[in-house]
Parts: sequence; structure tokens; C-alpha cells
Amino acid sequence: MKFDPDAEFVARVGKGDRAAAQALMVRHLPKMLSLARRMLSDQAEAEDCVQEAFLRLWTHGARWKPGRARFETWLYRVTLNQCYDRLRRKPATALDVAAEVPDPAPGADAALQGAAVAAEVEAALGELPERQRAAIVLCHYQERGNIEAAEMMGVSVEALESLLARGRRTLRTRLSHLREG
Amino acid sequence: MNDERKQRAEDAAFADSALRALPSVPVPAALEARILADFDAIAAQLRRGALSRLLRRWQNLIWPGAPLWKPASVLALSLIIGLTAGVLVPSTTLSGEQTVSSPSYDTAEALEMSGEL
Repeated sequence: MKFDPDAEFVARVGKGDRAAAQALMVRHLPKMLSLARRMLSDQAEAEDCVQEAFLRLWTHGARWKPGRARFETWLYRVTLNQCYDRLRRKPATALDVAAEVPDPAPGADAALQGAAVAAEVEAALGELPERQRAAIVLCHYQERGNIEAAEMMGVSVEALESLLARGRRTLRTRLSHLREG
Repeated sequence: MNDERKQRAEDAAFADSALRALPSVPVPAALEARILADFDAIAAQLRRGALSRLLRRWQNLIWPGAPLWKPASVLALSLIIGLTAGVLVPSTTLSGEQTVSSPSYDTAEALEMSGEL
């Protein structure tokens, strides 16, 4: 069984230890928030989603047993499931994101161009099917390994590789003008 | 087959560079505060739950299977009876004359006895 750096903190959270709760939050919140932000393309939604995931942790964390899966895997799976639920509840907003893309006018400075590229990438990412998006964000944005990402998504490594291949191809096709430019 | 593999590697490299263009997501302090406030509320709930579980365990020892109001009302009734009796029933032992005398050790008889010892 692998050493889980979170196991002790989770046990303490189950006993109502606020310092342990804060330590877990500081350790995982930034990556959870960026995952939710990239999945949902909406900062407020992402914050609500992550808050909900932590609420699950505070409520059910005491029941988590070390040994079965790493705590981080469980926490990310909870976050992803929250994202999927929210995506199914709301209509796609990818077009809204695309509408926010600034016009790369001639003479625009590098920062503006960078923001324009980022907005285009975000829009293209937002148009991917949710599982392909999750696979791409976990492996290319958060730099997780395939095995770890597959565990977080609750799919086999082969299924993850297939999702990744399709997601990357779609992303490259949609953003081909960036490569040419 | 090799072309397909090459294509996939290029797709992966492109995805890497494209996602690198995305800015990092800052964590607002207000979100941290909200998450910790949730923890405080849940922890308080758990503490209340622990207290009620302890009370229930005691109650099961005293009167197994009964609802909490039964032992509570028996305790309250016995307290009322005890207090009423204490207030209304007159004391017979200490009223009027002193019935129990406290021994005195400095009388002449006592001093004589201690001398004999």
C-alpha cells in the first residue's frame, strides 16, 4: 500500500480538527479550483463546485478508509462529478466564452494577444465533450500521469487514452489557425 | 501505423502548448473563508451529535429501549416529590430541645479519665 500524505489529515478532520481541515484545503484547493474552472468555463460556478466538494469532504471524510484509493483521487473524482452534474444542468456556454475573445487588432500588445489566445483555447476546450475535456485538463493542464488521471475519472487507462486522442485531435483542428499564425 | 503515431504525438504536443496559454486560476480569499465556515458548521453539528449519542447511551443503561422523555420525567417527578417533602414535612429531630448532645472533652471527668490513661 502506498503512503498517502493526506491520510492523517483526513482522520483529524473526522475528529473536528480545524487546522487539519485548513491544511487539506491549502494543499488541494488551487488545483481543484483550476480543474473546475477549466471544466465549467465559469469562475463563480467553479467556486461553488469546489465549495460543494469540500462540503462533501467535511461531511463524509471521516468515513474515507485509507488503502482503497488515494484520498486525492477520491477528492478529484468528487470534484469532477460535481462538474459533470453542473454541466448537465446548464446549457452549453461555450459560445459565450467565444464571444468574449478580444479582437486581435493589428498593433495590439503581446498581453492582449496572449489573452486572446487563452480565450480561444478556453472556448475550444469548452466545446469538447465533458469527458474529453476532463482528460485533456488533467493530463495537459494539471500534468497528471495517465494512470492517475484514469483513476480520478473512474475509467480504464485505455478509455482515458482514447478520450485523450479524440480530444487532442479536435482541439488541434479547432485551433489550427493559431498554429499557422 | 507510424504516421498515426506521429500524428498523435503532434496532437499531444499541440495540446500541451495550447493549454500552457491558459492563465493560472487565482484562489479568492473569500472562497477559503466560505469553505472553512462550512467546516466550522459541520464540526459544530458533529459535536452536538456526539453529545446526544452520549445522552442516549446513558438513557439506554438506565431504561433500555424507552424514549428519552420517560427517564427524564421520572427524574423530574422524583425531584419534585423530594423537594416538596423537604419543604412541607416538619423536622422532628432538631425542633424544640436539643436531643443530641455533643461530647465535651474539657470537663473534670474527662480530664480524670485521660490522666488514668
